[in-house]
Formats: sequence, structure tokens, C-alpha cells
Amino acid sequence: MSRQRSMEKILASEFVSIGELVRLTGSRYSTLKFYTEEGMLPFVQEHENLTRRFPRVEAIAKLNEIKELKQQGLSIPEIKARMGA
Amino acid sequence: MKELRFAQNFSLIALNAQDSLHLTTTKKVSLRCMAAAAILEIYLDNGFSRTGEILSFTKQDLGHSSMPSYQEKVLKTLLGKKEVISGTLSHYLTKVLRLSKGHLKEMEQAFAASLEEAQAIEEIPALLGCDLEFVTAGISMKEYRSHPELYTRLIESLRAEILEEGTMTDEAILMLWLLRESSCLYDLFSREELKRVAVQIQQLLEDSALAKQILPITIHKFIETAYKNFLKIKRDVMSTPTGSGLNFIFPVLERSQSIFIETEEIFPNKKDRLRDLKVRIEEKGHDFTVIREGEVPLVKIDNVLYEAVPSATPYYQVAVHGVRLRKYPLSL
Repeated sequence: MSRQRSMEKILASEFVSIGELVRLTGSRYSTLKFYTEEGMLPFVQEHENLTRRFPRVEAIAKLNEIKELKQQGLSIPEIKARMGA
Repeated sequence: MKELRFAQNFSLIALNAQDSLHLTTTKKVSLRCMAAAAILEIYLDNGFSRTGEILSFTKQDLGHSSMPSYQEKVLKTLLGKKEVISGTLSHYLTKVLRLSKGHLKEMEQAFAASLEEAQAIEEIPALLGCDLEFVTAGISMKEYRSHPELYTRLIESLRAEILEEGTMTDEAILMLWLLRESSCLYDLFSREELKRVAVQIQQLLEDSALAKQILPITIHKFIETAYKNFLKIKRDVMSTPTGSGLNFIFPVLERSQSIFIETEEIFPNKKDRLRDLKVRIEEKGHDFTVIREGEVPLVKIDNVLYEAVPSATPYYQVAVHGVRLRKYPLSL
């Protein structure tokens, strides 16, 4: 059985799945998927089942940075350039 | 905010935008699935006594202080006058098909109370009340609205887990089944994404013991569906082991409503039309957000996306101009 992790456990984990990152940040799945594909979010990919795991603290910090830059009116290419992605 | 339990999470999706005053067909389907969700929650928490595949529950097991009221309500109904019930998980789940209207109403109250206590759901004037016919007739209706942030987090994390590569959790597998049985799947995924969901179901049937046990079970009544006969023919032609094909593309149950909202001017331009729509919706107490402008704007009303299609409808031999709200999948 593979059970869903409680929020407490997620908050104590070094790595989280994209679904857990959605639960933590309230961002849309398609948005996170887009940022991941654009190389704006850090992740590690396990070879066996191809599941992407995101370093929790770093990924949330990056997301907050992206949100802040978007609020300043920057476009995605500009944000990417600013973040050095 | 307190973390919701499995059945509460499903209820948040199933009850959102449902008529809170009347027992509609779609709500009956939702309530049966919510009862099934409560059974699955007990199963996940090892609340049944197990002997192999047989799950048992006795009257003495009821009334624990830790047992949520909605779980107690469902189990009491299943027990009836019996002291003990035993059967496979499938046996328990298919029992929800025999729940009476009275039982369903009692269950709705128990679920709604638990969600209201968690501040996860509220009752608001129904969107259908903004429809020209309803406004003119002076009919007021009420519906449930799930907490927008909780709702978004829940459906987006589910979408992520179902659409992503990799192992799905037991909760996600069971939620996928409940969404399929309640026809909520079509609110959450676009038609393109449903193809991916069908592949995922096929994969689960090969890899997951829980999915093999759950996914073949059906707890919806075709008699309650508008497409009953149409789908019967299609099912015979297109049925697959996963229930995909046309059955998967077309919802078993159409949950959307046709809502027409008239505009103030006869030939409004797109800006005036959108402004009038916003005023009408907001004055009835709904949250209104414009997602995309244009000839056919995309708007979010409460937790649901709609395309506002310019339209006209005959009313006492006069063409009334306005917009018709067309439901849009939440997969934007």
C-alpha cells in the first residue's frame, strides 16, 4: 500500500512530489509543470519510475521568486534570464 | 486550517455547485459516492475487522468518540437492524446503490455539517438563480460552494498525481474511481487529458492490486442518466476493460447546467457584455474573475470555469440578448 503523506510529513521532507508541491504552494499543476519544463524549478528524476522529486525548500523559494517577478510585470523569458535558468 | 479526511476531500469536490435544497439526480449520484468514500476511508484506516477478503463491522464498533459523524451515519445505515455486517469491499461499496432518498438526505446533512464545521463549505444563492427564467419567476435557489483555496489545492494536487508519471498513492487511486463514478472526472480534466487518464487506468489495472479490486466496480445507476439509452448502444459497441472508448469521452452523467444571463443593452459590445455579466453575477453573491477576455470570454464563477458565449433567446416573441454560460473543464 502506498499512502498519501500528511502535511506534517511533507513539511518535514527534503524532497516532495509535484502533487505535494501543489498542496504546499496552492499553485496550479499546469503552472508547475510548465516551470519545470522551462527549467525554472529544480528537480531530481529517479531512473526507475521516472518520478520527479523536488527539493522542497529550494523549489518553494524559486516559486516565490517567480511570483514576485511576475508581480513586477516581468515576462517568462525575462524571469528566466533574471534567474539564470 | 485542519487537514480534511479522505471522504471530506471527495465531498468537497462532489458537493461543490450542487443544489443544497433539493435532492437532484446529480446530487443523488454524488451522495452515493460520498457514502462509498466514507466506506473507503474506514477501509484505508483499517476500521473493519478482516478475515482474508472479508470485512466485518459490528454495532458495538459504532459510537467511538474518534469516529466522524458522517462515518457513523453511513455505517448505521448499512447495518440497519443487523448486529454485524460482513462482506468483501465490493459488497460494501455496491450497497450504496440501495440507499433510500431519506438515507441520502441524512448523509448529506452529516457530511455538510462536518465540512461547515471545518469551514470548508458554505451555502450561497445558486448560480442558476441568475438565469433569466429564474430571475423573472422570482425563484431563489441555494447551492454549496467549496472553500476556493482548499478546492483548488485539492483538485490541482489530484490532477498532478493522476497525470504525472510514477506510482499513485492509494488515496489517489480511490479518488480516481470516485471521480469516475460520480462523473466529476469531466469537470477536472480536458478531453485530451482524459486520454492520458484512460492510459493511467489501464496501467493501474496491470500494476496495482488495489486498482484491480476497485476499478471494475460500478456504483452509478444508468437509469438516472440522461444518456441512458444512447450510452447503452455505445457501450456495447465501444466497451473496453477500462470502461474507456465513447463511454469515457462522453460523461455518464451531465452535471452542467444551461444558464442564460441577459445583458442590459440590446446589442452590447464585448466589453459591455462582460461588465453586465459581472454585475449580475456579483450582485447575487458570487465570486467573479475574468480569466481571458475576447469575443467568448473565459470567466471563473466561484470554483467553476465558464465560457460566456454571446447568445439571444426568444422571450414572449422578443429576442433577449445576453450570454449563455458554458462549463469549461478546470484543466486550464
